[in-house]
Amino acid sequence: MTDRKNPTHITRRTALTYIGAGMAALALPGQSYAASDKTLRYGLSTFPPALTPWNNTGAASNYVKLCLYRGLMGYDSEAQLVPEVAESYEWVDGNTIVFKLREGAKFHNGEPVTAEDVIFTFTSITAEDSSAYLKSSFESIDSMEAMDATTVKFTLKLPSAVFLSELANYCAGIVWKGSDPEDPIGCGPYTKTDEERGVFIEVTAFPDFYSEGEPRSGKIRFTAYSDQNLRYAALETGDVDVIEYLPWTQFDTVEESEELNIAATVSPFMLALFNVEKDGPFKNPLVRRAVGYAIQRQDVVDGVFAGRGTPLLGIPNPPGSPYDLSDPSIEYSYDPEKAKALLAEAGYPNGFSCRLLGTSTYGMHQDTAAIVQAYLQMIGINATLDLPDWATRVKKGKDGDYDIAVHGLSGFYNDPNALWPLLHSGPSNYTRSFGFASDRIDDLLERGRAAMDEAEREEIYKELAVAYYEEVPQIPINWRGQAHAMQASVKGFKGFPGWLNTSSGFSFDTTEPS
Amino acid sequence: MLRFALNRALSAGLMLLVVGTVVFSILFLVPGDPAELLLSSDGITASPDAIASLREEMGLNKPLLAQYGEFLVNALRFDFGVSLIDKASVGDTIATRLPRTIELILAGLVLAALTGIPAGTYAGLRPGRRFDRIASAVNAVLISLPGFVIGTLFIYIFAQFLRWLPAGGYTSFFTDPWLHIKQLTLPAITVGLHLFSIIFRMTRASVLEMRGNDWVRTAVAKGLSRKLVVRRHVLRNALGPVITVVGLQMGILLGSTVLIEFIYNWPGLSGYLVTAVQQRDYPSVRGVILVVSALFILINLMVELLYSMLDPRIRLE
Repeated sequence: MTDRKNPTHITRRTALTYIGAGMAALALPGQSYAASDKTLRYGLSTFPPALTPWNNTGAASNYVKLCLYRGLMGYDSEAQLVPEVAESYEWVDGNTIVFKLREGAKFHNGEPVTAEDVIFTFTSITAEDSSAYLKSSFESIDSMEAMDATTVKFTLKLPSAVFLSELANYCAGIVWKGSDPEDPIGCGPYTKTDEERGVFIEVTAFPDFYSEGEPRSGKIRFTAYSDQNLRYAALETGDVDVIEYLPWTQFDTVEESEELNIAATVSPFMLALFNVEKDGPFKNPLVRRAVGYAIQRQDVVDGVFAGRGTPLLGIPNPPGSPYDLSDPSIEYSYDPEKAKALLAEAGYPNGFSCRLLGTSTYGMHQDTAAIVQAYLQMIGINATLDLPDWATRVKKGKDGDYDIAVHGLSGFYNDPNALWPLLHSGPSNYTRSFGFASDRIDDLLERGRAAMDEAEREEIYKELAVAYYEEVPQIPINWRGQAHAMQASVKGFKGFPGWLNTSSGFSFDTTEPS
Repeated sequence: MLRFALNRALSAGLMLLVVGTVVFSILFLVPGDPAELLLSSDGITASPDAIASLREEMGLNKPLLAQYGEFLVNALRFDFGVSLIDKASVGDTIATRLPRTIELILAGLVLAALTGIPAGTYAGLRPGRRFDRIASAVNAVLISLPGFVIGTLFIYIFAQFLRWLPAGGYTSFFTDPWLHIKQLTLPAITVGLHLFSIIFRMTRASVLEMRGNDWVRTAVAKGLSRKLVVRRHVLRNALGPVITVVGLQMGILLGSTVLIEFIYNWPGLSGYLVTAVQQRDYPSVRGVILVVSALFILINLMVELLYSMLDPRIRLE
C-alpha cells in the first residue's frame, strides 16, 4: 500500500503532472530573432550530395555551388553570357584568348584573385587524377601564361566556339591556389555559414564580393524537400520563398495564383536509346527509325507531364539555340503505317520481342516507358518492362544490359555543341545508345566546335540534324517543362531558359525576398 | 539472471556479426557504382577516367577481403568509417539522426499508449456495446490506411488548407522549441495512429480474455471495487502481450518510419538509410543497419526483462 499522506512521495500521477508542466514550459515560444538581414529561403529538390567545385553532382548542388564559386565567365540576370570573375576578354586569334581579371576580386579568405589562381584551377581540373566534369573539355587548353598579376593568356590546341560557355559552367569555379583540397576556397557571392547534412545549407553574403551592391539577400537558406508535393506545400504555406522542380500537376495552380509566380521553360528531353551492339533488330537503323514513327508523343506530354512539354520530333537542338535546325523532312511524326512498313523493310513484318529499360526511381521515366511500351505493341514490338532502381539502371545502361531504354537527358548551355557528350562516340555510358558510333556525327560535332564563323556553324549543325535522322543514334520523344515557383513578393529571381535552367543560380545575385 | 544476460549478450554479438557480414556481401552483389552515380545526375555523366579517379579516391579499388576486415575491426570500435559521398563521419551522422527517429517513435508511442490502452480497456470491458463497435470500426479504418496516405491528407488539411501547422521540416528543439513541437505534431500523430490501432486491438482482445477468468470473478465477489479489479487484476495481466507487441513494433518502426520521415521531411535515420542505398554509399548503409539491428536486439532483450518483472512466474533461464 502506498502512503498517500506522505507529501514527499511522488506517485506516478504527480510525476506525470510535473513532466507535463515541464514540457508545457519548454514549449512556450522561444526568443524571436530580430531580422537583421533578409534571408531567401530556397526549397531544393534534393540535398546536394557534395559541393566539390569541379565535379558535376547534380542540379541541386549547382545552385549552392554558384553561391560559393564563380568562374571566369558567367551569365547576367537575362541569361546572357558575360565576363564574371574576368572583367574582360580578348581573342588574339582563334586559338588564343587573354582574360583581364576584375580588380579587387577577392577569395573568401581575403586573398586577391590572381592569374596564378586561374592557372592553378585549370591545372587541377585537367590533372591526371581529377574527377572534374569538364576535364576532357579543358584538355583543349594547350598552355596558360600569367602576363601580370591579373592578366592571363590561354592558348588552345584548336579554335573553340564554345570555350567561353564552358568557362561559365558551374563546374569551372576559380579556386584559391593555396586551398586545402578537401575544402576549396572560392570567390562567389556567398560563404557557407551553416549546414546540417541532408537537411539544409545556409550561406551568408560575402561582404567583399566583386559586384557592387550584390548579392541582394543577406542569407540564403537551402532546405531539401525530396518529396515534390511537400516542396510545393512548403511554398504554398510560406515556409520557403522559391522552389525548383515544381511538380507538373501544379503548374496550373501556380499560374492562376495571385500569391505565387512561376518561371517555366522547357529543358531536359525524354528519348529512347538502343543497344546497337547486340545482334538484334535494333542494330538496324530502319528498326530504330520505325520506333520514331510509332510513338504518339503528345500522349507522353499529356500523360506523364500534365501537358507541360512539347513533342520533340527531330534533333534535340536546345531551346534558345542560336540556330534553327527544324526541317519537317527529317523529323518524325506519328505514323504507325510507316513504322510497320519500315519494320517489314528491315525484315520484321511480324514484329519481335525485346526488353525495355527504365527506372522505377523516377515516376516520369516509368510512365514514359509504359506509354512507349503500349505504342510499340501497336506495331508488333512486344517489349517487356525492366524498371530497376536508378543505380541499377545506370549500370545496366553502361553495360548494355537492355534492348531499348527510355531516358531523360540534358546539356548545360543552349548551343548544339552541348549535344557532344550525348552523340559523340566514346567509352560506353548510360547517356548514349550502347555500342553506337558514327564517324559522320563525330566529324560534324568536331567541325562545329572548331568553326568560329556563325554561318559556317549553322551549316554544320544543319548537316548534323540530317545525320541524326539518318543514323538514328537515339529517338527523341519530348521536351519536358521545367519550372521554378516563388512567392509573388520575391524580386529578381530568374529561371534561365532551356538548358541554362540549371545555371539559374547566377540570378541569386539580384534576388530579394520581400 | 547473470548467466541469462551473458548468454544473451553472446548470441546478440553473433547475430550482429552475421548481420554485418550479410550486409557487407549483399551490397557488393547489388549493381551500381557509387562513384559513377555521384558524377551522373540530371542526364549528364562524367568521363570514365574521372569516374576511375573517384573510385580510387573512395577506396573502392581495394581487395574485397581487405575492405571486409577493415569494416569488422572498425565496427568493433564503433567506428563505421566515412561516407563515400562527402566524407562525413557515418557515426556522427547516425548520432545526429537516430535520436530524431527515436523521438518521433516515442512521441507517437506515448500518444498511442495514452489513448489506445484506455480505449482498448473500455472496449474490452463492454464488448459489443456502442463504444466498442464505433472504436473497432475506426480502428479497422486506421489499420488499413498506410501512413503515407494519412500523412498526405494531414499535410493537405492542416498545412495547406487550414494553415495551422507547418507542412514539414525539422528545427532543433534548442533553436526554437515551439517550432520544433509544431513540426513534430503531424508526424508523431501519423506514427501514433498506426500504433494506436495495434495497441487498441491487443488491449481489447487481452482484456476481453482476462475478464472471464475465475480470479476476476473472485475479486469482484469478495467486494473489491470495479476500478481496483480492472487495474490490479485485469489490466496488469492483460498488458503482457501488449508490451511484447509494442516492443516489436518499436524495432520495426526504427527502420520503417521512412515513408513518414520522407513525407514530412523529418531528417531521421531511415531517410538517411534510403538516400545512402540510392547513392550506394556502402559505409553509411552498413553503419545504419548495424545500429538498427543492435537496437532491435536490445529492445527485444528489454521486453523479455520487462515481461519477467510484470509476471514473476516467467523465469529467465
